[in-house]
Amino acid sequence: MSFRDLLGMSLGNYGRARLRSGLTTAGVAIGTALVVLLIALATGAEDNVRRSIFSIGDLRLVTVQPFQPGANGLSAVPRTITDDTVAKLKGVAHVDGVYRQFDAPLGMVVEGGDDATIRPQGIEPDAPIDRGDLLAGRHIEAGDRAVAVIPGNIARLVAPSVGSAVGKTVTMRVGGAVKLGSTRIGGSGTPRDYAVKIVGVFDEQASQTSFRIPLEDALLAGAENRGLTPAAIRETTGYSGLAVEADDSTNVAEIVKAVQELGFSSFSLKQVVEQIDQGFGVFKGILGGIGGVALLVAAIGIANTMVMSVLERTREIGIMKAVGASPRDIRALFLAEAAYVGVFGGILGLALGLAGGQLIDRIIRQLNPRTNPAAIFVVGPDLALGALALALGVALLAGFLPARRAMRMSALSALRYE
Amino acid sequence: MNAPLAVEAVGLERSYASGHATVAALAGVTLGIRRGEFVAVMGPSGSGKSTLLNVVAGLERPTGGSVLVDGENLAKLDEEALARHRSKRVGMVFQAFNLLPRFRVVENVALPLAFSGVPKAERLRRARAMLERLGMSARADHRSNELSGGELQRAAVARALIGDPAILLADEPTGNLDSVNGAALIALFEELHHQGQTVLLVTHDAQIASHAERTIHMRDGRVVPE
Repeated sequence: MSFRDLLGMSLGNYGRARLRSGLTTAGVAIGTALVVLLIALATGAEDNVRRSIFSIGDLRLVTVQPFQPGANGLSAVPRTITDDTVAKLKGVAHVDGVYRQFDAPLGMVVEGGDDATIRPQGIEPDAPIDRGDLLAGRHIEAGDRAVAVIPGNIARLVAPSVGSAVGKTVTMRVGGAVKLGSTRIGGSGTPRDYAVKIVGVFDEQASQTSFRIPLEDALLAGAENRGLTPAAIRETTGYSGLAVEADDSTNVAEIVKAVQELGFSSFSLKQVVEQIDQGFGVFKGILGGIGGVALLVAAIGIANTMVMSVLERTREIGIMKAVGASPRDIRALFLAEAAYVGVFGGILGLALGLAGGQLIDRIIRQLNPRTNPAAIFVVGPDLALGALALALGVALLAGFLPARRAMRMSALSALRYE
Repeated sequence: MNAPLAVEAVGLERSYASGHATVAALAGVTLGIRRGEFVAVMGPSGSGKSTLLNVVAGLERPTGGSVLVDGENLAKLDEEALARHRSKRVGMVFQAFNLLPRFRVVENVALPLAFSGVPKAERLRRARAMLERLGMSARADHRSNELSGGELQRAAVARALIGDPAILLADEPTGNLDSVNGAALIALFEELHHQGQTVLLVTHDAQIASHAERTIHMRDGRVVPE
């Protein structure tokens, strides 16, 4: 029997018991729609979370912290990050760059008054935190000394506008009493003033850094605050942290592993994203499973319909066998009929799921106009195709036993069946 | 005559398990039917005549002995091959007509060709030609439930002949027909026989059997002399 005849003949069979086929198909459609809707909901939520993480920072970045790996918070065990650590990390595969950072003690910009509290952060040129967030001026460059790239809010305290702050020389006071919020705290060491020239102003909303100065300046300020030399600080206190940049975000896990083997704790957005992905995988599985139960019920419906169909057409099966239909032809006919239920139900269910998602989306926005503008339900091509394949697969599975029953029927007893 | 045999049965047996006992429907049948012959099998009900026909048709498997139809040993065929046997070597006409009521007559006649992979247009063309040959052209596009008994059986004969079978099998074909239509059907068989068609017909009616060239009598699963 040709494939075309098979499809044509089984389509005729599908169309014959219209109400029954229609109801069975509706069952599959509802199951499929539910699977699509629930997984689309989870995908939409995941997309939203991921998007907000991507807006925080670069996925290629691994931050090395001066602690042993594992513990965090109060139980964290300090470890010193030295130039030796930096050299070792530079030798790790897929590492594009290692940028040292040293945080000097809290201080203030004298010209800005009490509210101009700062944490001077010593960074290297082209450090990942010092990129692309300028409101005016330039970033820290190689060979810079006694300069600063300052946040917009401090700039507005020392100059009428962020633009006019650039080029101005201000007094950076490191150590001593500072105001934090509404309280004054004693601060560390003897306050010491340094004249720094503002070379750039960055958008403080877009960054988590405070007051960027060249690494050497920060080390010097930190050393003088405690009566030490910068070399001693490098050796004993160590750096505040390292920003390790991977050549690609897919290699971040390897770098994290290398950092931990060196005995340091690390943080990377990539790992956070992976954990979120894992969490959403479970979430999707649960939601998909709930939809799957509906599809399972639909499958039982298909099986029931097919059993009825086989029973009803017993005589017809007998006639077909008598005039030359092979057992395989008969099985194929019934499987194809079940496949029609799956395909039609799948397409209908997909359409229903898409339309339902749009409708719910619209209703939610009508009820709460301030809802996040991102899509609530996200149906990608993989979900759409997957849902169709699932509906077809479930239908074929449900049709298998009835089709086998039809196939094994004896032609003679089928002919005698009334 | 030395024509090769259309049917050749040697010690053919077919038994059924019935509870604890075994019932032999065919208890060693040996017979031969030449090509082009018109043979009637007669006997009372339970004599095994229908079973013989079903075995030749490939609808039942022999449990002993051998049967060759058009040179093919049916005992050696699996289910798929038996299906091909039914679609290519034999054509069957039943007492109950066995047409599919939801199909048009021409589609019913064309049905066996679907299972041997003939494309639809070609199938329908051949089915129409066959209906024309049997004088049924006017009914080709009716649904089979709109036909009279005589017309139904004629359509069934057309369906049986569509695959150009080596042998036409008929099991009590006049059983559901009135005497006029029954006589017309037998006349059709005679005509087909004159055109060279091998015909094997099962009946319990001596009047009908008398139209055949030769009559085989059966009783209790065996061929018996007159």
